[in-house]
Amino acid sequence: MLIELKDVNKTYNNGQPLHVLKGINLSIDSGEFVSIMGASGSGKSTLLNILGILDNYDTGEYYIDGRLIKGLSERQAADYRNRMIGFIFQSFNLIGFKTAVENVELPLFYQGVSRSKRHALAMQYLDKLGLADWAGHYPNEMSGGQKQRVAIARALITQPKILLADEPTGALDSKTSEEVMQLLGQLNREDKVTIIVVTHESGVANCTNKIVHIKDGIIGQIEDNREHSASAFGINTTMK
Amino acid sequence: MKDLFVEIWESVRRNKMRTILSGFAVSWGIFMLIVLLGAGNGLMNSFLQGGSGFATNSVSVGGGWTSKPYDGLKAGRRIRLDDGDVAVTGGDLFAENVDQVSATVGTNATVNYGKKSINGYIDGVYPAAQEMEKRVLLAGRFINDKDIADSRKVVVIPESTAWSLLENGQDAKTLVGKHIKVGDLAFQVVGITKADRMRNSRDLYAPYTTVKTVYGMGQEVGSISFTTKGLDTEKANEEFEKQYKSVINLRHRAAPDDDRAIWVWNRAHQDVEMKQGRNILSTALWIIGLFTLLGGIVGVSNIMLITVKERTHEFGIRKAIGASPWEITKLIISESVTITAVFGYIGMFLGMVSCMILDKTVGQAKMSIMDDEIAMLVNPGVGLDVAIEATLVLIIAGTLAGFFPARKAARVRPIEALRAE
Ligand SMILES: Nc1ncnc2c1ncn2[C@@H]1O[C@H](COP(=O)(O)OP(=O)(O)O)[C@@H](O)[C@H]1O
Ligand SMILES: [Mg+2]
Repeated sequence: MLIELKDVNKTYNNGQPLHVLKGINLSIDSGEFVSIMGASGSGKSTLLNILGILDNYDTGEYYIDGRLIKGLSERQAADYRNRMIGFIFQSFNLIGFKTAVENVELPLFYQGVSRSKRHALAMQYLDKLGLADWAGHYPNEMSGGQKQRVAIARALITQPKILLADEPTGALDSKTSEEVMQLLGQLNREDKVTIIVVTHESGVANCTNKIVHIKDGIIGQIEDNREHSASAFGINTTMK
Repeated sequence: MKDLFVEIWESVRRNKMRTILSGFAVSWGIFMLIVLLGAGNGLMNSFLQGGSGFATNSVSVGGGWTSKPYDGLKAGRRIRLDDGDVAVTGGDLFAENVDQVSATVGTNATVNYGKKSINGYIDGVYPAAQEMEKRVLLAGRFINDKDIADSRKVVVIPESTAWSLLENGQDAKTLVGKHIKVGDLAFQVVGITKADRMRNSRDLYAPYTTVKTVYGMGQEVGSISFTTKGLDTEKANEEFEKQYKSVINLRHRAAPDDDRAIWVWNRAHQDVEMKQGRNILSTALWIIGLFTLLGGIVGVSNIMLITVKERTHEFGIRKAIGASPWEITKLIISESVTITAVFGYIGMFLGMVSCMILDKTVGQAKMSIMDDEIAMLVNPGVGLDVAIEATLVLIIAGTLAGFFPARKAARVRPIEALRAE
């Protein structure tokens, strides 16, 4: 198993303690394309942040590739995030004063890759995502869909084991949303990237091969969706 | 390295005004430090030049009064130095530490030239006195060995004494070769020395032997001067003085440890005091300068704090994609050091230029003390050592200024940083 969660609990303690994750058990295999779906406030982002080692959990165990992720130093956590995980955020989280290609290069900078090498690689990924002409542009000169594709290029450049996406289509219109989801599906099929998408939209979840339902911090039903028939709107309908 | 500078440049470019304002405080601090130290150096150089009436390795000895009974004699006895003391001083006993020996013997005498008459003091000296007392010849020559050997009736006159013998406006140098009357005897003027500070206008220098014989002084000696060698430390000087005193004291049947029987004035001590004074002054100036700089450091630190706060979200992104806390710390501290160093060097450069301007203006102004002119500032400015020290100070200051903001930035958990806006 690439990812294994055993009885993971998380409580937020600012002010009134809030028990958000109440014993999460979940296994995800290498090469899967999974969505975690649930209502707003059900704890999806909290779970994804733990999976991405951005946040820590209170009790339980979390393994990536058999390695226990617990009580890491910030330096170690940064290194794991850099080498094993790629993030895609709802709000893109590109650095505004850096051009598209500079944003894509950044993870390699923290790996100590030489300037020319990481530039070449970043250009290659931008090209793959159809953004070669936009390499020198700043994020505020690009559309939402373009920004998200830059973010995806940045997430992919280190060839991570896992791609984590928190509401990747949340800030995009339906057409662009569909394009982004198709892109993720293609990356999963062709490049065998393991992808976990968090969403509250069934249309988005329907693009993935497996749907994990989460409700009030507990994993509910896990649907096999290789037929892509989970959407209430039927197969291959638009998402929104 | 280049990547780091690109990052710093981007950050500075986005906060131009803010960076310039806080950088200015650093420039001002370093500027003040350099100007203060430079002016302080100029002042000290001026003092040193003015105070250098005597070679720093010269010692003067004179007779005093005993302060304790010894060998059956009571305290309070007058000690008069004599030719024996001169011989001992220059003899084998002290050969290791005594270089040149000179003795003086002097008396008051009426001095006449033309219609002018002054109440002068004729000082019998050895040729060595010229170097020991740093007499600068303006014309002619100083007393030489032949004068001593032949007890010649020649005098060397300081400019200031010459003026009081001449009509207003006459050049002192014209006296060379002329004869003046000292008491009843005619002496030929062989040299004129530069007037120096603290010296009155009635001294004349004649050969030691001449004064001795002409005025029937017998064995008596006014004072003994000599230059020392091989006394490099304060301790060595004190050791030597103690030994010297005990030898001379015993010659006059005074207690060897009697400090008052003869007086010994060793300029080596003065030199040490001068150096100490210089150190105290420069320490004080450093402290003032550093406090001025402190304002700049606090300014830069504040700017960095604001920058860090504004960039929290960006740091969150960087951390999410793999920046370690050290990477973030490095970013902030290098930015802080760069700002401090660049503006510090601007201040240092301007400070050095100001020192040069000081040299050309205030430095040329003369203070007149006792007929002697000394420049207010002599060679104001700072050396390479200060520039290097100031560079170190800047780097430390920049690191300090960046330290707390950097720590703050590095400590924020990535998830919290990402939430910030
Ligand atoms: N940092 C936090 N401190 C306190 N409560 C939080 C924090 N983050 C999220 N929560 C709360 O935890 C619950 C789950 O949040 P989240 O995981 O973001 O849900 P979702 O992404 O499914 O909408 C919500 O009630 C939310 O208000
Ligand atoms: Mg969420």
